[in-house]
Amino acid sequence: MRLSHFDYHAPETVAQAIALMQAKPGARLMAGGTDLLIKMRHAGLKLQDVISVKSIKGLNTITVDENKGLSIGATALLADVALHPDILKYYPTVAQAARGTANAQVRNMGTVIGNLCNASPAADNAPTLLAMNAEVEIHGPGGQRRMPLEQFFKGPGITALQPAEIVTAVHAPKLAPHTGTAYISLSARGQLDCTAVGVAAMIVLKGKACEEVRIFISSCGPTPVRALKTEAIARGKELTEAVIEQAGNQAAGEVKPIADVRASAGYREKMVAVLTRRVLSQAYTRASE
Amino acid sequence: MKDFSIVGQSVPRNDGRAKATGTAVYTDDIKLPGMLHGKILRSPFPHARILHIDTTRAAALPGVKCVIVGEDTPKIKYGNWRLFPDTQDEYPLAIDKVRFIGDEVAAVAAVDADTAEEALGLIKVDYEELPGVFDIDSSIKEGAPVLHDYCPSNISVNRKIHYGDIDKAFAESDYVREDIFTVHAVSPAYLEPCAAVAQCDLDGRITLWTSTQVPYIIQCLLASTMNMRENDIRVIKPFVGGGFGGKMELRTWEFCAAFIAKKTGRPVKFTLTREEEFLAGRRRHGMKLYSKVGFKKDGTLTGKDLKIYLDGGGYNAMGPTATFLCGTFGAMLYRYPNYRFLGQHVYTNKPPASAMRGFGAPQSLFATETQMNIAAEELGIDPIELRIKNAQVTGDKIPDVATISSCGFIEALQKAAEMSGWKEKRRSPKPGQGIGIGCYSFISGGVFNWFNTQYPFSAAEVRVFTDGTAHLLTMAADIGQGCDTVLKQILAEELGLKMEDIRITSADTAVTPQADLGAWGSRLTMMNGNAVVQAAKKIKAKLFGAVSAKQNLNVIHELDCKDGKVFPKGRPERGISFGDAVALVQKANRGEPIVERGYYTPRDKGLVTPAFSFGAQIAEVDVDPDTGFVKVKKFWTAHDCGTVINQMAVEGQLEGSIQMGLGYALSEQFVMQGGKTLNPNFLDYKMPNAMDVPPSEVAHIHTYEPEGPMGAKEAGEGLAIPTAPAIAAAVHHATGYRCKDLPITPEKILAGKRQ
Repeated sequence: MRLSHFDYHAPETVAQAIALMQAKPGARLMAGGTDLLIKMRHAGLKLQDVISVKSIKGLNTITVDENKGLSIGATALLADVALHPDILKYYPTVAQAARGTANAQVRNMGTVIGNLCNASPAADNAPTLLAMNAEVEIHGPGGQRRMPLEQFFKGPGITALQPAEIVTAVHAPKLAPHTGTAYISLSARGQLDCTAVGVAAMIVLKGKACEEVRIFISSCGPTPVRALKTEAIARGKELTEAVIEQAGNQAAGEVKPIADVRASAGYREKMVAVLTRRVLSQAYTRASE
Repeated sequence: MKDFSIVGQSVPRNDGRAKATGTAVYTDDIKLPGMLHGKILRSPFPHARILHIDTTRAAALPGVKCVIVGEDTPKIKYGNWRLFPDTQDEYPLAIDKVRFIGDEVAAVAAVDADTAEEALGLIKVDYEELPGVFDIDSSIKEGAPVLHDYCPSNISVNRKIHYGDIDKAFAESDYVREDIFTVHAVSPAYLEPCAAVAQCDLDGRITLWTSTQVPYIIQCLLASTMNMRENDIRVIKPFVGGGFGGKMELRTWEFCAAFIAKKTGRPVKFTLTREEEFLAGRRRHGMKLYSKVGFKKDGTLTGKDLKIYLDGGGYNAMGPTATFLCGTFGAMLYRYPNYRFLGQHVYTNKPPASAMRGFGAPQSLFATETQMNIAAEELGIDPIELRIKNAQVTGDKIPDVATISSCGFIEALQKAAEMSGWKEKRRSPKPGQGIGIGCYSFISGGVFNWFNTQYPFSAAEVRVFTDGTAHLLTMAADIGQGCDTVLKQILAEELGLKMEDIRITSADTAVTPQADLGAWGSRLTMMNGNAVVQAAKKIKAKLFGAVSAKQNLNVIHELDCKDGKVFPKGRPERGISFGDAVALVQKANRGEPIVERGYYTPRDKGLVTPAFSFGAQIAEVDVDPDTGFVKVKKFWTAHDCGTVINQMAVEGQLEGSIQMGLGYALSEQFVMQGGKTLNPNFLDYKMPNAMDVPPSEVAHIHTYEPEGPMGAKEAGEGLAIPTAPAIAAAVHHATGYRCKDLPITPEKILAGKRQ
């Protein structure tokens, strides 16, 4: 498809980016361009203005702080997150999700924040961050605010961002002791593919029982779906095989997936049960270690 | 085994460096002064009558230089089966009807590709939508919508084979097994989308650079559809990024580039997008196969009754050949004393299926091999033992087909079993694991001449020079499979030269000798190799005569060429350099350069192929019981390709075939709805990539094919066959799910596994 003519802007500060977005209401922000350019070339998205955030200094920062937790800047590459030694050590599931996103070429251009802002129900980086209760940092004409990631996704391709707002970072809190996380996704091709169904979980243990459980399911609804009733089954309990089995069945009942070219609805539902069992058991083991 | 110098070595490919360094020039890299860029308008409907086309707005768009529709062309149909003009059912641009989503309706050439694309949106086509048929069963039903007026049944080709007494055979069998199989369409998915550049000179002659497997066929069919003389068309094949059968016919953009170049006087380039390739490109045939086989209690095959319907899509394309070959391959591998085959090629409102690696054999042999595995289980015989009991051997005669002149099938079965630890793994598999076998046989080029060429099937010209070098000219098309390298190796071996002593010019119809039917059906090593050997032998005869005269040798002396020298075998110290020998011949002929031609046309070799290859492949899988995901842990392959000309090239072919077979078995498919392809990209068309390909081990079974050059025969195409049945058998071993309906998906496994 013909790429329409557009103006390319490369602001150097967040304030400039916001001002540009105000001046060019139809403009779209771009980091790696691995989603946006595809939409422009193959899905008929015609833009007058594209605003790159890559020239904004400091936005690619990744920090892991003992007290404040993890912070990933808007232009930090998927490849950088996947290989960051502190993320690998303290937030291994975040690194795993980044490493499982698309292929090496895309990871070298694309960003975690871009993956979130694209708001695909299949986004690989969303479920884990959601499970960890992450927040997005938003800058806009009205100043700076923080929003739980859980409130950020509104539908396929739709976020809670207001006009001229920009996500500058995502923050995951410092994980409590005895916390375990896990994320598993499935797709038709073994190694390198778009997720057909995925489940992430975080478990915080008190003794042998789950003090806190958060479960998010991707690719099974218009946004990643939180499995609240499933969480309730596991919360306060020791995760025996029976509890895990029950949780899996419940999770499958909490989603209403569609059939598409990647999987049938029935298969997705079944796999939600399987993956929920597996992530609960993995997260439980990790939390116990 | 003969003693070879270069043949049998791992010789790096001729094109390797150029491709790795990016200096290889593909068709799309060609830029000519004043060149226009073309785009094709395609039908949005699977079946519709064209009522009216208005191109005025498109033609008026600034930058647009030419817009053509079917009515502007000479309206001559084309198709590779020239011998049977009835089968030629395709126009370069639709005349009255469109028959699939993506059928070509109009073409635009403009100063750049974006303008041409914009102009496509300005062409107004009035269609009258017609009901469509999207599967075999609906298409052959009484009263189904008819795609082509000439063919009211929608069955465009019938092929029958019958020998022995099949009914008697079944009556006398102890065990008869009947199954219905369905196999799906997949994409050749070559890395280089199709492209063509045409230029017309002031005398009206056309030069066409095109990404093709068949330069000679393009030359002839372009001439006939343009209403021109063959010699006024020159087709040049630049570097080609794969074909796998998908580039072996004249196609719309080749015609349109030439036609518009002639009309405008400016060069024109068309390059397809990946989306066009997936939406409208050629595919491997989906098929429905009804197979019935009979056995004696001891496992001896008594006969087979096979009926195959091919889902052909909107046009015949190479479907007639696939119909022919899936019947031939239904009777290969094993000794079927009685055999009956009916093949029917069925039109549907989908993109035309055509040749693709294996050309009907992967489908046919998926059924054969799966049924063999079922029978083995039900007869209580080990699947490899059952195969060995019925395996074809050297000297076997297949009625109306051929006598098998070399066959290492039994050795391949034994070797594959040994390498893989078959017996132990088969007897006591680990939980979730399984091991299974699939086998293949394939042709080394076709004997059939449905193209009705008046030339030899293959030709080679060899020129030798006083500096000790040689120049090989051949119309053979290297499309990435490596024939330039292999033919150079064969010539180097025969003349005793080194690879770097040989220059090759290939696949230019105005320069290279007539003719060559192209790169398909695994024909080039066999057929062009033989032509090269013949030309080289003629050169040697001249050199030997001159050297013999110069050295006053007794006539009983035999001479040889080796290591750049020509010498009497019995007196190697009296050899002279190759270049000096050439100079002697030239001197004797008052300067006339040495040029010789060799030809090959299979004769007295039956109706199918001069030689068959054989092989066996074993797959070991791990199946996740909850998700149904299959991970192939390893492949073991033992194959008989006669003499291995180039180890590295054969092993590369094997790796590629495993990747392709893996996709065919497990993940690749077109998701279709009402004739529309819903997954026209590599994100959702699940072709395995390098990370998905498991390790594999290979053994070459040594045979010597008397008909082949230096004993060689087919390698690499047949290997696309065994992978899917081997995986299916291994999945069955692991889970109890027997796949008769490719691909093997996790959902089917979960539904069909043992509880």
